[in-house]
Amino acid sequence: MGFLNAVRSFIVVFNYFCMAFTLLLSVIYIIQLFVSFFRVHRDYSKSFSDDFHSYVDSDNLLPISLIIPAYNEQENIVQNIRSLMKINYPMYEIIVVNDGSTDKTGELVVNAFHMHKIETSIRYQIPTQKIEAVYYSKKYPNLLYVQKANGGKSDALNAGINISRYPLFTCLDADSRVEKDALLRLALEFIKDSRTVVAGGIVRIANGSKIVDGELKGFSMPKKLIERFQIVEYYRSFLMGRVFWSSTNSLLIVSGAFGLFRKQTVIDVGGYKRNTIGEDMEIVVRIHRYMRKNHKKYRVKFNELSVCWTQGPMSLNDIRSQRRRWQIGLMDTLISHFGMTLNPRYGFVGLLSIPYNWIFELFGALVETIGYFLIPFTLLMGELNMFFFVIYFLLSVALGVILSQGSLVLEQYTHRAAMTAKQSIAVSVYAILENFGYRQLITIFRVEGIIKYRKLHKTWGKIKRKEFEQ
Amino acid sequence: MKIELISVLALLFCLLIIGIEYIMHYRLAELQDEHTARIENIRHRLDVHVEGVLYAPTDSSRESEINALTDEINGDYEVYEMAVSTIRTHKGTSYHDDIEAQDLLIKQIDEKVDPVSIYAKMLDEGNVYHKGYACRRLAEMNAMEYRDKIKECIDTKNRDLAYNAAMALCHMGDLYEVAEYLLSIQDDHMYSGRIVNEFFAQFTGDRRELAELLFEKCNKYMKCTIIKTLEKYPIDAFRPMYIEGASGNDTQLKIACVKALGAFGYPEDEQILQMAAQDNDWVIRSSAVRGLSRLKSPTALATVKHALGDKEWWVRQTAAQAITKMDIMPSDLEEILGGYDRFAADAVKNVLYKTVDTE
Repeated sequence: MGFLNAVRSFIVVFNYFCMAFTLLLSVIYIIQLFVSFFRVHRDYSKSFSDDFHSYVDSDNLLPISLIIPAYNEQENIVQNIRSLMKINYPMYEIIVVNDGSTDKTGELVVNAFHMHKIETSIRYQIPTQKIEAVYYSKKYPNLLYVQKANGGKSDALNAGINISRYPLFTCLDADSRVEKDALLRLALEFIKDSRTVVAGGIVRIANGSKIVDGELKGFSMPKKLIERFQIVEYYRSFLMGRVFWSSTNSLLIVSGAFGLFRKQTVIDVGGYKRNTIGEDMEIVVRIHRYMRKNHKKYRVKFNELSVCWTQGPMSLNDIRSQRRRWQIGLMDTLISHFGMTLNPRYGFVGLLSIPYNWIFELFGALVETIGYFLIPFTLLMGELNMFFFVIYFLLSVALGVILSQGSLVLEQYTHRAAMTAKQSIAVSVYAILENFGYRQLITIFRVEGIIKYRKLHKTWGKIKRKEFEQ
Repeated sequence: MKIELISVLALLFCLLIIGIEYIMHYRLAELQDEHTARIENIRHRLDVHVEGVLYAPTDSSRESEINALTDEINGDYEVYEMAVSTIRTHKGTSYHDDIEAQDLLIKQIDEKVDPVSIYAKMLDEGNVYHKGYACRRLAEMNAMEYRDKIKECIDTKNRDLAYNAAMALCHMGDLYEVAEYLLSIQDDHMYSGRIVNEFFAQFTGDRRELAELLFEKCNKYMKCTIIKTLEKYPIDAFRPMYIEGASGNDTQLKIACVKALGAFGYPEDEQILQMAAQDNDWVIRSSAVRGLSRLKSPTALATVKHALGDKEWWVRQTAAQAITKMDIMPSDLEEILGGYDRFAADAVKNVLYKTVDTE
């Protein structure tokens, strides 16, 4: 009896803990939403007098190396390179790094752009796997194709950094599309504040959107529910979370699909970490660590007007694999930089951002999942009042809707959506629906990532995507 | 019971917020739809009017189309800018290439619309961002009568407005105000570097006078920045100062002066550049090599060839880039490519692959 009572008490206490945890997280999110609203409002107002197009001719504009690590990307690679050749930026080079693909990625690039093998000296500032060949085309002088032995995405990026010529570089996913002015807007962050070492842009779900040569030409609701939920999810994640964290200079992640880096800083910290699948977060955390440790002034920025489009996963299996990888990446980074947690030496990053990620982003999924199983169990045991359970559930759904809907308002406010009013309202319905099944599934996938951390934390993930609509 | 009551109230409050958000969202979406439709309509009508002006059979019908275009603008800066853009980009007969005809039409519209008054109103009544925009536009239109009003904006606490106002005065060639603004930001090293660059590029007055005025009062950082900027606008009067700086011991000043001297391409500066090419600092060596490549003398070529084997990668790269632009004999190239110096050979090969057709 004593044991049963102890279990009972534990369950009751845990229930209260879960509720308090969820409410606290919601309050934090609402604060983020408010701060983001003011930030976005300010930036949007500012953009009126910001004649960013005039910078195209400016000598202050730093040239950029666009590095595309590619592993079995035959579906999208050529199309993506062609789209990058049309971006509005005066001086840039495109470096495609083929990380030992087993499909026709290399062949397609070489043939499509009439490239030929050249001998070139490479400055190995960051150690990488052997670079087997470099291809160049007289017809496309700002394109370079690098063939190297398989070493993972980080290794491919490091090889791209070694061979790049320019002081800024951006890593782009082979299956993403950058809007025409996106790079210019991001590069302005480096001009306007010379302390900037990293600048990230917003990543949007391209499923359903028609993107032609880096310009959004129209939107139709994607067919699958899973794609519709992701549209809402991405708005929330970028417009709320990243805007907030960058306003405190403690943004820990710049999306692997689209971020601009000061090359020398990345070289100083030793390049991308190999054998990790969360290299995009890890490099930013390492930069924070290095800069703060060495008392260097720096800024990690986020520009919500700079847009990159990416194809979101279209099947449950793919989204499962993606979210598992994200969670593993988060866990790997937090473990690698455990020393920064609650360490005042690292300022806001160590005291707030990293603990937040530990508590809410990593363990939050665990607490939520245990709650999913435990609360109905408690209900069955008669330890939980049914009325209270329903109210609590509705409250957590309502808080979730406030956040998602708030992000959609922000999106609409910046006039960026190519949706009509009807479509926009239709999308907002999914801000409600995602709370009934989708959100829970995603949380479970994240927990799966934590459980399988040891097994999966060194693999390249691959998601099946469709080609961009042209 | 108390906690349950609080929960119910909290839930109701959340529902209220959701309701407000939905209303806001819908209203914003509607406004965007209306805005898109309005812009589409205006664009269409502007196209029609511009075509009307172009193909008007008589002067009076042309005049009436211009009047219609003017009515369409009706004091709205957004429509005015759309109209100008439509005229500039309109593809009809050979009109889109005829800049003079486009200018004439814009001038005729300007006479009727008076865009200066539109932007002047914006400068008076708008928020800081509108004021900033108005300053820039008024400067582009050479509205000198508003110079004093723009000057007032420089003293504001808002950095964006001050910058836009100063940039406007830069367009207007206002020497003293621009110099004063630049001196006011000279201690902010994170900001002033790029501003100096932008302002010298846009300044419509005498750059030499501006530089002289600044050199009198500015700190060392600003001085180096100005010298580096002036590399693009070589001014002979400053050469003695550059020579002194390039021969001195201050590294930052030396870098700036070597770069600026190199930009002249005067044979009499070769000796100083040759000395700089032997400096301990690789940035100075690299700048000197670039400067020497412009001289194309046999001694300069010998130094650049020697720099191909420099211990610093950037100097080798600069030398390799430079040597392909100099009058180099094929035998010299062969000597480098087949020579004992692997660094030199690699650097030149790298450049040659990209400049010579190897297919």
